[in-house]
Amino acid sequence: MNLRRLWTLLVREARATWRNAFTMTILVAVPLAALMVFGFVLSTEVKKLRLGVHDASGTASSRRLVAELAAKGTFVPRSFATPGSLDHALMEGEISAAIVIPPDFDRRLREAAAGGAPAELQVLYDGGETVLAGNSEAFLRTLALSTVAELSTGARAQTMGGPAAPLRVSPPAAAPPVSGGVSVVSRALFNPKLDGSRFMVSGTFGFVLSFLTALITAVSIVSERLSGTFEQLQVTPATSLEILLGKILPLGAVFAVDVVLMVLAAGFLLGVWPEGSIVFFVIVSSFYVLTSLSLGLLISATSATAAEAVQKTVLFSIPLVQLSGFAFPIRNMPTPVRWLAEIFPATHYIRVSRAIYLRGEGPLSLLPELALLTFFTLVLVAVALRSIEGRA
Amino acid sequence: MTGRIKSFLSNVLAVAYKEAVVMRHDKAFLGMVLAQPVMMLLLFGFALTNEPRNVPWVVLDRSQTAVSRRFLEDVFVTGYFEKARTVSSYEEGRTRLGRGEAIAFVVVPEDFAREALRGRPEVQLLLDGSDPLTSARVSGYIGQVASTFDPADGRGAARLARVAAPEVGVAGAPLEMRQRFEFNPTLRDRDFFLAALAGMLLTNLCLSASSLGLVGERENGTYEQMLALPTSPLEIVLGKLLPHAGVAYLVLTFATLLSGIVFGIWPKGSWLALYLVTLPFVLASLAIGVFVSALARTTAQAVFITVFFILPSFVLSGTMFPYQLMPDGVRQIGGLLPLRWYQIALRRIIERGAGVREVAIPLLALSAIFLVLLTAVRRLVKPRLG
Repeated sequence: MNLRRLWTLLVREARATWRNAFTMTILVAVPLAALMVFGFVLSTEVKKLRLGVHDASGTASSRRLVAELAAKGTFVPRSFATPGSLDHALMEGEISAAIVIPPDFDRRLREAAAGGAPAELQVLYDGGETVLAGNSEAFLRTLALSTVAELSTGARAQTMGGPAAPLRVSPPAAAPPVSGGVSVVSRALFNPKLDGSRFMVSGTFGFVLSFLTALITAVSIVSERLSGTFEQLQVTPATSLEILLGKILPLGAVFAVDVVLMVLAAGFLLGVWPEGSIVFFVIVSSFYVLTSLSLGLLISATSATAAEAVQKTVLFSIPLVQLSGFAFPIRNMPTPVRWLAEIFPATHYIRVSRAIYLRGEGPLSLLPELALLTFFTLVLVAVALRSIEGRA
Repeated sequence: MTGRIKSFLSNVLAVAYKEAVVMRHDKAFLGMVLAQPVMMLLLFGFALTNEPRNVPWVVLDRSQTAVSRRFLEDVFVTGYFEKARTVSSYEEGRTRLGRGEAIAFVVVPEDFAREALRGRPEVQLLLDGSDPLTSARVSGYIGQVASTFDPADGRGAARLARVAAPEVGVAGAPLEMRQRFEFNPTLRDRDFFLAALAGMLLTNLCLSASSLGLVGERENGTYEQMLALPTSPLEIVLGKLLPHAGVAYLVLTFATLLSGIVFGIWPKGSWLALYLVTLPFVLASLAIGVFVSALARTTAQAVFITVFFILPSFVLSGTMFPYQLMPDGVRQIGGLLPLRWYQIALRRIIERGAGVREVAIPLLALSAIFLVLLTAVRRLVKPRLG
């Protein structure tokens, strides 16, 4: 290994990359676009959800209930003349939830207040949209129970300020003497509004650094080999190792810059800054780039054409990205799959990145994960270097 | 006029025939077409779900009474939680949340039993909000157990199964809510994702097939050879795309049958509607592939662009996360994607049992998107030599 020769190669590669408009666009645009897309899409806050209403009661209290559901923009009610038309609207996806208020609602409510049987309310959800149904259920239940509690006791001042936050599950206790139900005062730490962007942003680093890095590395090496310039370089005094390092180190540097760029973009555009140390995060991430570079090298070693390299990376990365906990918590997977997920470096990197971003953890509490990550990286780098030696 | 149409059709068919013959011998392509549905089916059928499982939680039971223990037991039997770990102080519980060792921290106050007698028991719930989907659901489960919990008598309270309770409300409460989740009573994520499986598969297939096919032809120089034939560029492009539309239908049938046989998720609606709505979607996706091929100079570039079009479209279309909850602007951008309308139609047909009439709007939207793309493609495929 000759450092001066390596330097020459590094400069040459950096210049070549800089001039390649397509690669540069990908390197800058994709991380930022991924950040924007993923940062915005995950939301748990229910708002403006279309709610079908069949009000057979048509009294002041039933209208009050509907008005409370519409207040704060959580639900947008629409009247339906028959219960049957509600079913059809649910099937067409026109509404996401529906309530049926029975004709005797008002009378039953007064009886319930006097100690009789409770009034009934039928609620239908579109279970086809699982996440949506699950979230709106908690909202609607809270809103309806608290409104009815108020109605049945004569306008009692709402102390909780209504269920603006999705977690204020404090149903019947708002009403005086009820013989059942436990009121839950809940609070979400680290992310009180349960805003999805923090969660997704911290995972997007793992996605970009695993997927894009491996992809670009593999393609750029295979293209070099295809265009014949690799062989030209081999007849120079440079060794294969130097040539390959000269190729991937500039890429690694670009990705390290990408990390900083993404941290800044997430901070300024999405308002998501890491809870923990930014410097620590950038160091860990740059180190993780080595893993993906090695993975790209390995893929390039087994691919004959650039297209093949890309397809291999994509095919390999989809399960990797999906199982790494980026979008779906690993905890929810069956046990064998959870073991499988543990052997992906991306899993550990995403875990570390979330810990720093969301909970502000430091190097000490993350030591076991960092050690595993280092171990994986060293193994992959060793294997990748060996594959280079073999080819030389 | 009829003569021109006739020759147009016969040219298209001739190119399509040639393309189909080539395809039949492309083992890698066929392998991908068959392997991908299986892989996705396994991922979404078995592994990937938002439904919380094995949720670690810690408990600080300051009451230490039969009532409080019964409440905690009721939470546990919902089946979403691991065995609770007891902490000895509030600080310890918070630290465990901070280290990510627990998702939920339930604090039962000292006067829980006394308050229960007076009918106003209260517990405190602290959640790790860093994973919003999980904590929202976990809070929902605990809230549901709490609202049905009857401190006076455990046997009277409705024990919560793994399903959201059909009835919420307790004796004496002024309201009893009869809840039902239509179409997917247990809110299983598997049904949600597998219903849109065809959308994901066909997006992958159509985009990569058309973009790679055209760029490959141009790279090899065979596109120019074809231009020398008495066929017009449009005929060549259409001819090349036609067999892929056929493959798309095969994949659709294969994937639908597979998820029916393996997971019992058969379309509840009409197969006719399914096949009908697929046509404009497949055509539109193929047309997008033609666009990609015009942008890319090499096959590698084409795959790049395709991949980075596919990923956001999975996300923005609502295939992975509900589009209804996305912020304004983002939601509308997603509306321009064919996959948005296709997944809407798929979920209506497969999950909710819709027929042709119920998917009229997605059908129209997809056709409109296709027509716009077709007009643009006609301009794009003007012969370009060199």
